[in-house]
Amino acid sequence: MTEAIERTAPSEAWAAREAVVLPLIFLTVALLGGMRVSADGSGFRFVPPPLISLVLAVLLIAVLVRGRRLEPLWLMSNCRAPLENLNGGVVLVTLFFASAQLFNCVAPDAGLAHLVFNTVLFLLLWNTLAAGPEAGRLLHSLLVLFGSAFILKHIVLAGLYAPEAGLTRRVLTVLLEGVTLGTMDGTPQASATGYVAFAAVLLFFVGLFLLPGAPAPGRERPASASLPSAPDAEEILEP
Amino acid sequence: MRGTVVRTAGLACALGYGAFIVWLYAQQPRTVAQVTGGIQAHVGLYVVDQAAFEEAVDHFRHERFPAARVAFERADPARRDPATQFYIAYSYYRQGWGRLYHDDALYRAGLEAVDQAARLAPGGRFVTTDASLPLRSSDELRAELQRGIDKDPSDFNPLKVFRARQ
Repeated sequence: MTEAIERTAPSEAWAAREAVVLPLIFLTVALLGGMRVSADGSGFRFVPPPLISLVLAVLLIAVLVRGRRLEPLWLMSNCRAPLENLNGGVVLVTLFFASAQLFNCVAPDAGLAHLVFNTVLFLLLWNTLAAGPEAGRLLHSLLVLFGSAFILKHIVLAGLYAPEAGLTRRVLTVLLEGVTLGTMDGTPQASATGYVAFAAVLLFFVGLFLLPGAPAPGRERPASASLPSAPDAEEILEP
Repeated sequence: MRGTVVRTAGLACALGYGAFIVWLYAQQPRTVAQVTGGIQAHVGLYVVDQAAFEEAVDHFRHERFPAARVAFERADPARRDPATQFYIAYSYYRQGWGRLYHDDALYRAGLEAVDQAARLAPGGRFVTTDASLPLRSSDELRAELQRGIDKDPSDFNPLKVFRARQ
């Protein structure tokens, strides 16, 4: 693969995407992913990613590479200039932290729910890694994964633990805490936390869509062909 | 050539933005005022509202502690001034102090404020110039607050009622 990549001057559009757009998108996701707005009006706080989120982020990057949604050689290789490699390295590092913070954002912060969510996410990602879906299906699969986790945490659990919850919800909460021996952590969050998390998930997928991936199967470039710039996402998703 | 400029500018932006995010996670500001105040403090532009500070000290001396804290918060919205944070901690201590028992919630808030004062002071220790305060340093105030929160057999000593508030 490395031999196949011949260095040519990348287009300015790709340079802007790789050096400006992608790092800014992923850094914004890393910022928003840990942001929590307290329901008691004490302002916001920033939650750093727990260790399990870092592990899940590594797994997610492995899944993206396996599914050819991310081709690291388009970002860093000995065929690229040092500055280009630096930009590519920044994209990879920011992608890692954005992924970690996205897992931090869609999983509860503590308690039994934190353990259950992260275990399920780990198993689903591992399963996706084993299945090795192609780029288009992989994005769909990840959208389902993050979308369901987001709905469970920010709509279902947030609704249950809302400070203004009615009697039925209070009874359900008490039952849930009784069943789990009080290990459910029900810290109420302001609704703004959900909106921030939604923006983070959406932005992350925009970033994934813009990542340089490999061409779709059957559309591989010949080894003699030069590498003008990273391929467009539209090109990858074409049937 | 233009591509190189874009790449260099992008790298600088990403590094700057990344440093800002690391700063946010390390400093844990709770409000937008604390974010902007923190940035101003780093570039040396942050100043305490002196009028509000003096008003707050006046409330403090007259034992109007909640009013004093509101004025102190107005004087130092970003929580970047060690003297203001020390006064806030002291107001929590004096308000929470009781002859028979201390208010743990107020003492905990006081601990948070005195820790913030110590963090901001050079050398991690703040010493006030206000001669009317018996506890002059952040270390002494912290120890007094911690003693109030800790539960030990001395809490049952009946002679405790003769202890004086600092």
